[in-house]
Amino acid sequence: MQTNTIPSNDVLSTLHPDCPDWQRLGPTPRDAAIRAMAEAQRVQEDERSEAWSGGFNRRTFLKGGLGVGVATLGAQLVTSRVSYAAADERSTGTLVVVFLRGGMDGLSLLVPANDPQLLKERPNIGVRAGSLLEFDTARGFGLHPALAPLAPLIKQGRVAAVPAVSTPDLSRSHFQAQDCLERGSSGSLTTGWLDRVLVASGPGTTFRSVAIGGTTPRSLVGSAAPIAMQSVDSIKLSVDKTEVKATTTALQALYTGLDHPIAKQTKLAIGALGTVARITAAAAPADDAVTYPGGNFSDALKNLAMLIKGGAGVRVACIDVGGWDTHTGMGTVDNGDMKRHLGDLASALAAFAADLGSDLLDDTTIVTMSEFGRRVEENASGGTDHGHGGAVLVIGGGVQGGVHGRWDGLAHRTSLGDVPGSNDYRDVLSEVVSKRLNLSAGKLKHVFPGWKAKPVGIVA
Amino acid sequence: MTDIVESTAGTGEELDAPQAGPPERRSSRRALLGLGAVLALGAVAGEGLVGEADSAEAAVAAKAVHHGKQYATASAAARAVRRSHSSLFPHDPHAHLLRRATFGARPKDVKDLKRLGIDGWIHRQLNPGSIKDTTAKKAVKLFPLEGAGPKTILKRTKRYSWDAMVATSQATLTRQIFSDRQIYEIVVDVFANHLHVAVPGEQWHTSPSYIKNVIRKHAFGSYEGMLLAAMKHPAMLNFLSNDQSRAKNVNENLGRELLELHTVGRASGYTEAMVRSSAKILSGRTWDYDTGQYYFNEPWHWTGHVKVLGFSHSNASIYKGEQVGDAYLKYLAHHPATARNIARKLAIRFVSDTPSASLVNRLAHVYLSHGTSIKAVVDAIFKSSDFWAAVGVRMRRPLEDGVGAMRVLNVKRAKGMKDTIGSLYWTLNNQGHTPYGWGPPDGYPDVAAAWLGAGAMLQRWNLHRALVYGWWPKLGWTKPSKMVALTPTMTTMQWTRVVAHRLLGVTPSKKHLLAVIHGAKLTAASPVPTDDWRLGKIATLLLDSPYFQLR
Repeated sequence: MQTNTIPSNDVLSTLHPDCPDWQRLGPTPRDAAIRAMAEAQRVQEDERSEAWSGGFNRRTFLKGGLGVGVATLGAQLVTSRVSYAAADERSTGTLVVVFLRGGMDGLSLLVPANDPQLLKERPNIGVRAGSLLEFDTARGFGLHPALAPLAPLIKQGRVAAVPAVSTPDLSRSHFQAQDCLERGSSGSLTTGWLDRVLVASGPGTTFRSVAIGGTTPRSLVGSAAPIAMQSVDSIKLSVDKTEVKATTTALQALYTGLDHPIAKQTKLAIGALGTVARITAAAAPADDAVTYPGGNFSDALKNLAMLIKGGAGVRVACIDVGGWDTHTGMGTVDNGDMKRHLGDLASALAAFAADLGSDLLDDTTIVTMSEFGRRVEENASGGTDHGHGGAVLVIGGGVQGGVHGRWDGLAHRTSLGDVPGSNDYRDVLSEVVSKRLNLSAGKLKHVFPGWKAKPVGIVA
Repeated sequence: MTDIVESTAGTGEELDAPQAGPPERRSSRRALLGLGAVLALGAVAGEGLVGEADSAEAAVAAKAVHHGKQYATASAAARAVRRSHSSLFPHDPHAHLLRRATFGARPKDVKDLKRLGIDGWIHRQLNPGSIKDTTAKKAVKLFPLEGAGPKTILKRTKRYSWDAMVATSQATLTRQIFSDRQIYEIVVDVFANHLHVAVPGEQWHTSPSYIKNVIRKHAFGSYEGMLLAAMKHPAMLNFLSNDQSRAKNVNENLGRELLELHTVGRASGYTEAMVRSSAKILSGRTWDYDTGQYYFNEPWHWTGHVKVLGFSHSNASIYKGEQVGDAYLKYLAHHPATARNIARKLAIRFVSDTPSASLVNRLAHVYLSHGTSIKAVVDAIFKSSDFWAAVGVRMRRPLEDGVGAMRVLNVKRAKGMKDTIGSLYWTLNNQGHTPYGWGPPDGYPDVAAAWLGAGAMLQRWNLHRALVYGWWPKLGWTKPSKMVALTPTMTTMQWTRVVAHRLLGVTPSKKHLLAVIHGAKLTAASPVPTDDWRLGKIATLLLDSPYFQLR
């Protein structure tokens, strides 16, 4: 018996205990039709609140270390879902949204170093002023020292940050807070905010949106139809070269006219095969490649850089990084979960920036976000529980380096003891999208309907 | 705090509405042409313009609405639905039942159903003890650590070893592939995701027995029983940090997810204070790491008045803390909001991604009036006309695709197949869908929208090629030329028709049969070839087709 090829995937590849990503189901246009019926809408609301996952538990992160050894921790830490939405014009820039799932502790990342409350309430895990990476002394903020790989970018003025950012959602549920943030609304909008960005920015192509690593991120749910892939390499069909055309023609015929969303995915898959073949063929030889630190997040960024450099016209990319639900064992600047997480994040981002090079980085904006920040006071397990206001990092060309937005000090709290949401995500994102993706005010109002964005000052 | 200013009026709504599509579609086409060679390959193959309104998708959803009701028997409910509402699948209640109530129909399933009839077959499935299941029992012997208790795991494996966890997950795959107790295995999967503990996870010596003694044990029992068992199992208490909870510093993790995920859901209207109460009630439930055993640690129990929805208790004594918790869990298990959530989960699995409120309410009523019996709800699903009307509206997820393909290919148990099960397991891991493998506490999503993606389509197609050609050795594969009787006088069309019915339980349209034949570079009228490579192409394309991907 003749078999044409050996399965390309190494079936014994590393286990990702934090993978598959835990992105949740979301309403498609199909769901939107159903919503027309009031009863179904109620059902869907129940469903959604039940569904939107957040809880990237530290435990699921930890098991990597326990099971396969500390050396591979980086690979275990990150969920590798990346989504690409390619634009019709290259010149409008690329937005990279890094979603830190689980509720990233903003006070560990962007540290109000001189605030006396900090160490009072975080005697064990508070980041001390002396160890900080210099960032915005005038406003009294430094960065966690694990972010040191970003130092060159900070010097170039390419790193901005906003403290006390939140959505209007006041629950401390991962599920609800992520849902609210990714839809860009606590109301009844069913599409994701990035989907609306794409729709507002004009029509695209077959290859307009691609998702790496599994399911569609909530922020891209809607009509922009992102394509999912594990990596750029995984977009290939394991049949002989001579059989590809006959096979894809047959697949297309089998799904033509079918009234199920899977039909469209078949078309997109076949289209993606061609596009990826072109990009891979054109990719730079390995010898002048930047060295990435490894791990899923790093791999995802490497793939993203390949697409950007290959001229795929990536307009929006989403990457998930899990492991931020740090109820226990956050540790110190020398050791512990926060140090490792932030270090992995920074080293991968630094490699990505270097890989793009200065010109492409000028057209690229990276935003990190998380569903909420964590409580100010540390808990008995050396961690922190779900809070409210968190921190956002913005990296790339065109940003104004330093800290932006309102900050009233740690004495200023919500009734539950959290950092308040002094700055609204919709203001931050509106500014980035309007200035970096050139969305006019008229188009912007479709992205966050009913929201009148206030300037934050992150982007020049 | 931030003001919530939200408007859903005006243009924002239009963006959501399906009818916003047509202008987008036209301009998309122009933009596509303008892009030139860069994306030409994608464009030629694709024709799937992005921004295209999915009116077809909306239509299928609208069509799926069926005003169902309950019948005395499943066969009566089946008879009440006189025609297929699917454009793909013809009216055939037996084929529909096998697509939904098994991971994939083996020839034996088809025979059993024909022999027993709809009611007899379902009755037998709902009484799994009446099924011998010899093959599956032999097959899982390859995984002696499946469901092992902490003591065994401590004795037989190295500390922190994943062996027992992976064995448990792989044994589950094995059961799904080889067991004749298919409805039971499906229900196990539903509840493992409902009361989810990630496997593999940090719970290396406790999660295997969680699957065995909590999920599998109660899958056809009462939900009350399952919930009580889960909330005393070290794996759950550890997975959701209840073992970190102290009277002075109550950890909210489990108390919150118990309400949000396991029982009443957020729609029930509980407050943050109730979440705190929920966590306080559970405080003290912990376990001993060295033995892996549960115990109630009285000094850790928070005392004082607690109130969650309609449950309140003075909760005055640490010594009564465990009893208060049990009473609270029973209250939650019997709550109407819990009933609807359980009903909806099962309805989604068996009926449709968007089950009607009517069906959910009928099933919730069965749940409450049968002492939270899971089996009674499953039985009621087959006695609803909703089930029999929902033909072809569910999509296989990656595991259901892989396991289902192995079943319809009728793979046989073989010595040394442990590695092959492992190969399937790691492939499914890459596809994001191993048994119990979801990271966070809410379990895998169970609707098509979450699993769509071009990359995911390619992974499925590639897996079908591995399975049809038997790329993984050491399993009882059937060569394509042996799948159905092949006589020298057969035309390619004749063989394709027979093998399609054998694998899919349905005869595809002539147009689709021709597409498959041409995809294998063959012609319909010519004699059927005898080489497995060509015939395999036909078999793989059939598995790739919507006749297998939809169910």
